[in-house]
Amino acid sequence: MKLLEVKNLKLYYQSTRGTVKAVDGISLDLAKSEALGIVGESGSGKTSLSLALMRVLPSNIDTNEGKVILDGKDITQLSEEEFRKEIRWNTISMVFQGAMNSLNPVLKVGHQIAEPMLLEKTVNKKEAYKKSEDLLEMVGLPKEIFNRYAHELSGGMKQRVMIASALILNPKLVILDEPTSALDVSIQAQIMNLLKRFKKELDISMIFITHDIALSSDLCDKLAVLYAGEIIEKGTAEQMFGKPKHPYTQLLLASIPGLKQDASPKFIPGAPPDLTSPPTGCRFHARCPYRFDPCDKKPPPAFKIEKDHLSRCWLNEGDKK
Amino acid sequence: MGAARLLAIKGVTLFGVLLVSLLLVIVVLGATGVSDRMMGSIVNEEVRELRQSLAITIRDPIELERVVLAEREQLVEFYGLDNPWYTRLPDMVWRILRLDLGSARTLKSFSGSTRVSDIVLERLPNTVILVTTALAISSVLGLYIGVKLATRVGTTLDRGVSYISAASYALPSWWVGIIFIMILSFQFHIFPFGGITSAPVPSGFLNRTFDIMWHATLPIITLTLASVGSWAYVVRTMVLNTAQEDFVTVARAKGLPENKIMNRHIIRVAAPPIVTNLVLGLTASFGGAILTETVFNWPGMGRLYYDAIFALDENVIVALTFIFTLLYVGARFILEVLYILLDPRVRY
Amino acid sequence: MEERTRNLFKELLSSGSGKVGIAFIIALIIISLGVIIIYPPDFGLKYWSNPVLWADNPRAAPPAWTNLFSSYNQAETVIFETNIPTERIPGVSTTKVLYTFNLNHKADEPPSFISMTVGNIKYNNRPPVLIVNIERPDGNKIELYRLIVPGPLPNEVTPFARFSETPFRIQLSGNHEVVSAVSNFLKQEFDVSISNQDLLLSGVDIAVFGTPQDDGKFDVLMGVYKIQVDAFLYNEDDSIGSVKFVAGGSVHGFMGTDTLGRDLSIGLLFGFPVALFIGLVASSITTVIGTSLGIISGYIGGKTDTSIQRAADIFTNIPLLPILIFLSFIVGPNLFIIILILIIFSWPGLTILIRSMVLQIRSGQLVESSITLGASRLRIMLRHIFPQTAPFVFAQMIFFTPSAILAEAALSFLGLGDPSLPTWGQILEYGFRNGGIYVGYWWWILPPGILIVITAMTFVLIALGMEPIINPRLKRGH
Repeated sequence: MKLLEVKNLKLYYQSTRGTVKAVDGISLDLAKSEALGIVGESGSGKTSLSLALMRVLPSNIDTNEGKVILDGKDITQLSEEEFRKEIRWNTISMVFQGAMNSLNPVLKVGHQIAEPMLLEKTVNKKEAYKKSEDLLEMVGLPKEIFNRYAHELSGGMKQRVMIASALILNPKLVILDEPTSALDVSIQAQIMNLLKRFKKELDISMIFITHDIALSSDLCDKLAVLYAGEIIEKGTAEQMFGKPKHPYTQLLLASIPGLKQDASPKFIPGAPPDLTSPPTGCRFHARCPYRFDPCDKKPPPAFKIEKDHLSRCWLNEGDKK
Repeated sequence: MGAARLLAIKGVTLFGVLLVSLLLVIVVLGATGVSDRMMGSIVNEEVRELRQSLAITIRDPIELERVVLAEREQLVEFYGLDNPWYTRLPDMVWRILRLDLGSARTLKSFSGSTRVSDIVLERLPNTVILVTTALAISSVLGLYIGVKLATRVGTTLDRGVSYISAASYALPSWWVGIIFIMILSFQFHIFPFGGITSAPVPSGFLNRTFDIMWHATLPIITLTLASVGSWAYVVRTMVLNTAQEDFVTVARAKGLPENKIMNRHIIRVAAPPIVTNLVLGLTASFGGAILTETVFNWPGMGRLYYDAIFALDENVIVALTFIFTLLYVGARFILEVLYILLDPRVRY
Repeated sequence: MEERTRNLFKELLSSGSGKVGIAFIIALIIISLGVIIIYPPDFGLKYWSNPVLWADNPRAAPPAWTNLFSSYNQAETVIFETNIPTERIPGVSTTKVLYTFNLNHKADEPPSFISMTVGNIKYNNRPPVLIVNIERPDGNKIELYRLIVPGPLPNEVTPFARFSETPFRIQLSGNHEVVSAVSNFLKQEFDVSISNQDLLLSGVDIAVFGTPQDDGKFDVLMGVYKIQVDAFLYNEDDSIGSVKFVAGGSVHGFMGTDTLGRDLSIGLLFGFPVALFIGLVASSITTVIGTSLGIISGYIGGKTDTSIQRAADIFTNIPLLPILIFLSFIVGPNLFIIILILIIFSWPGLTILIRSMVLQIRSGQLVESSITLGASRLRIMLRHIFPQTAPFVFAQMIFFTPSAILAEAALSFLGLGDPSLPTWGQILEYGFRNGGIYVGYWWWILPPGILIVITAMTFVLIALGMEPIINPRLKRGH
């Protein structure tokens, strides 16, 4: 059964330059205990997508529409108060990008982990703090960290704290927004191992948001590639890494430096488009080495390559089955 | 950096402040010759008295002059007037630091004492009542308004109050006090023109307390108005800045209710800089007290300072400058401790 | 830098408060320039503080326009001044020179005083005689006063000049000769006897400008009064320079007067350039010192940094107003000293702020690459660091300006203002010290305060308009 189904989600912001279409009609689905990787360059709408799922939105929102169905229930229909109580942290929790600033500097770390649990009247402080300490140990930190403040921790430690914090209410889904981007490579590996372990042991679903397609290969069962607010290709990990169909996905994979390869990594020319006025036709056409006639005129629909594998590229029109 | 070390550094700086302001006053008095002139007049006064008392016993005018002259030289030496002013400086600083404030030349306490410490002690409570009450009211009010505004950024209310608080920056409190007197005392006779009690002083503790409160109302409102606007604005800015931190978004995502987010994740974090601004408010209040007390004829230290300057009473001027700074430095130190308690980042 | 600064002005002009602030400051500057051109440079000492010049004005009179709001019409000051006689009647041995003034009195009260001033009289043998007559609307005529110009001194040579340096002013209202003339007039015309003493006390004006009633009081007699000054000259070459007759009002001009009779509008106008001068000079010098020390402290670091920061720490913590009061009292009331002290105690705040900015900028790429390219420290500070702080510095300067203006006003209010340069604070102080708030001289107390507030507000408005640039994080919230 599907845990999460996102249908045609849109999130537009207002800015001085016009409307920013950060998330522009995204559809996704995720089964229980599955991990979905969402890959995209910065500015492709990754973070906006996660904020939209958590419904923590900035004040300059223009449009927020679409359906988010969780366990068969459309959670976009919930009132703000219901959403806060039922969904946030209870069902969906999140590890935010930039662990450096995710912790309150004047509160003890352990308290911050336990905080959502303390909201429930049935839970006493002792229990919540015990759980917080357990979680700290689970993420590989000593219990004593409980009484520390954010500025006393290293980046890696903070990120572990944030992961522990996300698990306090046993959520069904954890969104991980670039959980490793600000960390050293060795610590990055440690965190990834931790996440893999949890995925196996705790039976939770994950949405892993990253700009690093190689990193997602490690953890994710499914992958979606985000470009300019749209998903341009999605499929299972095997499909995406084995037979990538969209030129952008192919270029992303080719840009991974390999230790044993002779070929030097390729880079993608140009820069991601401005989301206030996305290009006509295929949003990637200006940077695409294979562009042809319809590319800059008609936006390509999502062509189904095989089961679970979709690609938004006119090249794939013939592959349609 | 350890908390103790931090406090020690702050303590040394604040002591430096105390010493510098004291030195500044003494050096200015000395270098401009004011000190010598004032000391000289003390000597002349004593010599005159001496001559009068000696004239009874010593009949011979030449002999009298000789004795008086000898006494005079002794006095000059005693006060150190035979040496340049700066030789008296270390002694004076040391004396003041030990709170040995000497006696006033012309000013007297209400009970008639000329000892500076008597004069000051009599007036100190009056100023403290005024300044602390006003500060307490304006900080509570400012905090409340500032937080309210921060949650309503961009609304008409926010913009309106922001403009008003900016305007209050341009509004000298003493002038506001004058306007109050003109309207509420002169036109409508609601409040007294000034002073601290009615004449005659009403009998009974309760009546007297109410009388003082009635007299203190306008000065306190004036001092409060002078600071509450900028205060609210500072709180608003701090709260807004903090509200945009990532950890606030995290707190929201955690499903915390808005009031918890505001209290624990925003105000609590914004508190240290707000406290810093309280310190600045405190300096302004002490300065403001001089003006406000002058306007309302309030018998506090500010008014005393004003009187002492115009009476050229060196000991009182030096003592008050020192006490103003001492009060300020003391308050400042308490706030430093508070800051360290509030913000774990500076503790280690 | 250019772009940042341009942005600053663009932002400023796009905000409502910025527009209002700019409009106000333009107005302030225009008024100030006008004052600088028109007023003499020694206005303060020679004119404003010279009571003789204001003798013909009523004391503590509210503005003339207050009549509009009251059914009781108060008298306005009327001044007649001329150096050309109305008529000249040559005679055999004497020449009679006539000066006639028609005073149309419409107020519900008599003038508060009448006075005559004559200046620059020259004669050759006998001193001229001047007689002041007044013809009332009811046809009665009173000879008020007779002035015999002082005779020649021994060894004085002709022509004898009198009242040429300082014109001679006679306060007719309080003059004994006038009092007895009026007393006689009352006796003859109305058969009312009032002793000279009583008349002097009750004021002679109501008798001259009124009709006695049965209850012993006077009713004001409205209409045209013909005031005639007859001068008798005893030589062809004798001359009279000027004759001035004043019927004092109890309202005066646009802004009223103070207890010395000084026209407040004149003093208040002079306050404009002085306030701007104080604000701008203090703030710009403070900004220059504060910014340079901040950049040096932040960029050079080490011992320099520590010592500058320690000094700044100490100076910010000294309670400013007590020291300011003390120093300006000891050193004497001098505007430049006041400005100097303001600067000495104000730079540290800016230095601390700028230093923290510089610490961030220093680690930026631009500066690092310049260091790699071997640019000198001075050049880096001037060309790379300063431009990045410029808009902030500018805003700080604007924000400090009202503080300086208010500080000077506060000092002046405590009686420590510089008397050679009258400021709004000083006018207010004089009003306060003369009990203005206890007797309700609102026209004296309110306007200087309002002008101080408006001027300070102008700069606050501009600073407010620049806020989004200075504090860009706040903008995101909107």
